[in-house]
Amino acid sequence: MIEITCNDRLGKKVRVKCNPEDTIGDLKKLIAAQTGTKYDKIVLKKWYTIFKDQIRLCDYEIHDGMNLELYYQ
Amino acid sequence: MCSVTSKMFEYDPPTKEYATDPKIISRNVKCLVCQATILEMEKEIKKVDPRKKVEVSGFRMDSDGFSEMKSVQYSKSETYLTELMDTICKKMEDYAKARHKTSRKLLILKMVTDEGTMNPLMSAVDFVQDGDLNKSLEHFCLEVLEDHEEAILTEFMKDVPEKNIDHIKHKKESRKRDRSPDVAVKSSSRFEREREKDRRERQDRHKKHKSDKSRKHDSRHGSSRTGRAANRDDYHSDSSDVVEIIDPPPAPIISSKPPPAPSISSKPPPAPIISRKSRSISPIPDGGAGDVLSIAETNKLRAKLGLKPLETNSDTTAQEPKKDADGLKMHKDEWGEFLHKPADNLADKLQAEKLREKFRQKKEKRQIDNKLKTIKGLGESDDFDDINAWIEHSREKEKLKAEALKRAKMLEEMDEELASNEVSRPSVRKGNRNNYTEKNLRGLKVGHNMESFGEGKTVILTLKDHDVLAEDEDELVNVNMIDDERYKKNTEVKKKNPNQYGYDVYEEQYDEFGEQIHRNILGKYDEEIDGIKPNSFSIGETLEDERAQKRRLLEIKAKLAGKKLESLDEPSLKLASDVYTDDELAKFKKPKKKVKKLRRKLKAEDLLPLSGSAESSSKDYGKRLRLHNDHVDTDDVVDTDFKDIKIEEEDNELEKILSKTRRLKQKESLITKSLTSVEASQDVKMEVDSDDDNGEIASKDNICLNETAEFCRTLGDIPTYGMSGNRDEDAGDMMDFEQEHFEPDEPVEEKRSTGGTWNSVNPDLEAIVEDKSNEMIEVAILDEEPDVGSGMGAALKLALSKGYLEREETNRPSNTRMAHLQAKNYSIEDKAYGEDEKFQRRDRYHSGPISEFKEKESYRPNVKLEYIDDSGRLLNEKEAFRYLSHKFHGKGPGKNKIEKRLKKNEQDGLMMKMSSTDTPLGTLTMLQHKQKETHSPYIVLSGSKQAQSTSITKHK
Repeated sequence: MIEITCNDRLGKKVRVKCNPEDTIGDLKKLIAAQTGTKYDKIVLKKWYTIFKDQIRLCDYEIHDGMNLELYYQ
Repeated sequence: MCSVTSKMFEYDPPTKEYATDPKIISRNVKCLVCQATILEMEKEIKKVDPRKKVEVSGFRMDSDGFSEMKSVQYSKSETYLTELMDTICKKMEDYAKARHKTSRKLLILKMVTDEGTMNPLMSAVDFVQDGDLNKSLEHFCLEVLEDHEEAILTEFMKDVPEKNIDHIKHKKESRKRDRSPDVAVKSSSRFEREREKDRRERQDRHKKHKSDKSRKHDSRHGSSRTGRAANRDDYHSDSSDVVEIIDPPPAPIISSKPPPAPSISSKPPPAPIISRKSRSISPIPDGGAGDVLSIAETNKLRAKLGLKPLETNSDTTAQEPKKDADGLKMHKDEWGEFLHKPADNLADKLQAEKLREKFRQKKEKRQIDNKLKTIKGLGESDDFDDINAWIEHSREKEKLKAEALKRAKMLEEMDEELASNEVSRPSVRKGNRNNYTEKNLRGLKVGHNMESFGEGKTVILTLKDHDVLAEDEDELVNVNMIDDERYKKNTEVKKKNPNQYGYDVYEEQYDEFGEQIHRNILGKYDEEIDGIKPNSFSIGETLEDERAQKRRLLEIKAKLAGKKLESLDEPSLKLASDVYTDDELAKFKKPKKKVKKLRRKLKAEDLLPLSGSAESSSKDYGKRLRLHNDHVDTDDVVDTDFKDIKIEEEDNELEKILSKTRRLKQKESLITKSLTSVEASQDVKMEVDSDDDNGEIASKDNICLNETAEFCRTLGDIPTYGMSGNRDEDAGDMMDFEQEHFEPDEPVEEKRSTGGTWNSVNPDLEAIVEDKSNEMIEVAILDEEPDVGSGMGAALKLALSKGYLEREETNRPSNTRMAHLQAKNYSIEDKAYGEDEKFQRRDRYHSGPISEFKEKESYRPNVKLEYIDDSGRLLNEKEAFRYLSHKFHGKGPGKNKIEKRLKKNEQDGLMMKMSSTDTPLGTLTMLQHKQKETHSPYIVLSGSKQAQSTSITKHK
């Protein structure tokens, strides 16, 4: 289990627990459940990399305690 | 009894003797070190923030599938403790052995306090001199920790370790005590007392903690916070205790014991906090803005989303790394499990290596020793001390020597005997190489043709090299002969025409006896397909037979030589005559003779005497020539029977020469400027023509006079003539020819010498000259072109001079034209024979003039470089160079130069365009007009200049 912090810099900051084998899509659903936004409106970024839904966190090398940028589309 | 203080550990010797004994028993020192170590560890543990906690999972799942997480103080976690134990012995560097000044008690003293000040007790003790700078203390520490690692760990990890640590100490001490009776323990009762005290205090703290825990937590975070606060309280209280310990009252009396209670109370409350299932593992984020779900909540959510529950066992940071069967540390993070192979211990390796080396050396030494044992050294004495013994020994030696000699001699004799036997009976012993005879050679193959061995010649043959593994028979060869054969074959191959394939009908088909050789179609490939026919014979009985057979065959062949299968009704044999018959003559073809030969004959020197001899026979040169030729022929050709044919040929040659002279004359006639020269040439021409047909001269040389010619004759030489430059032909050529052939011709010579005027005339030719003179004038003035009728050559000449045709002189002799001059079959390949293959390959196309492109043998390009300037004019070499040069240097010619060149070009152009039938100024037309007007064959040039000019201009 890893914990990831997602922050849009507009006041929403969530910490999500997930497995490294989860996909970004799953993570988005978890975030959506925690924040109340629709998961398909969420965009996750790290610098200029937009994470794609069907790819696993471990494949993106997202580790415990990492911060992801939360955007909305 | 060991007393525990922070600064000093003293040891009470049991007896006075020991106290005064300067010897220090290491066991006692070890005891002191053990105490000091434990104390140091406690101190270190106390320094850790008790709030710091790590989660340890219990590996037990409850009914919901959640495992229990245990939150343990960091200071009590195994990881921390092991780490601490690894480093704690470094602290021993600060300790030194000492003896109390008064009581002579052994103690170890920490020289520097934790605050960095000097230990005040230092003045009260005498330091013990130590050879290795008290390194032994550290070693003792390490030893202690190693021996009791498990016990110490478990004790420190215990939730209520305070009591038990002392207990361990106690146990250890008692054990030591048992082993060392000289170490006395003061009393265990005091220790018991202390323990009771500790227990009481701890119980109190426990109660307090329990009450804390029993408090109702309204929020998760709150609970942890309060818990932490409680911990902090504990810590504060602890630290205050520690302060007391660290600053002990400087006890003047060393035996005074500090109260043990504070040291024990320094342990933080051990109560394990077992986290509830719902508790979050994450502490509150610092920003406080995090929206965090617990694992359970997350799992619920995940179940709803259809995801598998979280893997909660991944938090291994606080866990002791698992060890697998090999003792390798297992490390697991979220990516999986990893085995960390420990690095090789270099020191161990080195030691092993050293040991091995030592063993090796020992072994070698042993071997050498063994060897040397059997040999007697120089210095070593012999066994025989007695002189008699020595003598006996040496005698024996000598005897042995003599015996050996005898035996050798005998063997030799036997050998000789055997050898002599073999001479008489060679077949007795085959092993002797002296008797390797013909018989042994029987059946051996010789790798050469039998013919190559001449009769009675001695040829040394050697065994041919062949593959060791190949099971071929042995073959005898001579290296030189092999080389010869190869060379012969190469020459044969070279003789073949590489361009010719297939069946050659005309190839030699008969052997030396004239018999037809039977050939296969494409027989030349037989060798390549079937392999080279082995040209060998074997030594043996068949040799003679073969020879004989061959001889017989040869004889038969010789008999049959020249005999052909022909019909019987062949014409009967005739006597061969020395001369050819007429039919044979007709059939006979002689190869054409080259012209060169004749040319040589026509040299002036050859002609001179002849002309003298033939003077009487008129001026008919042709005749003379023919005579001369006949004469020469008789010299040259032996076979008089073919005289006629010969003559015919010679006549042809002669005609050739004559035609050449004719041509030259024509040229001359066009070129010569003076009337007389023209006349002379005309003369020559006439003469030449007379050779063919004398009767024709008159009709041929009819001269037409016309007015213009007549008129112009009176004018004399036109001053502008020759200025235009297109009339200067190479007269030198002409001269050469004339000199060569017509030197003896005196009249001509005369005429030529008088060139320029035509007043002086040879009286012999006067009539003709007079007749012709008019025409000559015409030629002189309008000279270039009227001769067009005389032949194609003349016409071409005209065209050239007028620029209708381009001059050919730009065509340089090309490769194609010179092809016949090049050597066809010349090569120096033979010289390079045996040279490096690589070198040859490299030089295949670069070896200078002898090599050609093999692929393009017939390709002879006619390369013509033409340069054209900006205006499209063709440039000659010089101009082209100039042009390129200007271009290259980026600097054109000067203005004047350009103008000059332009002018020249213009003039050239004008000259090309100039009318061929008129002067550049058109005077001729003017003249004709005038004459037409006046109806007179003349015009009057006398009179005033102006009148003349006006008269002409009028007609314009």
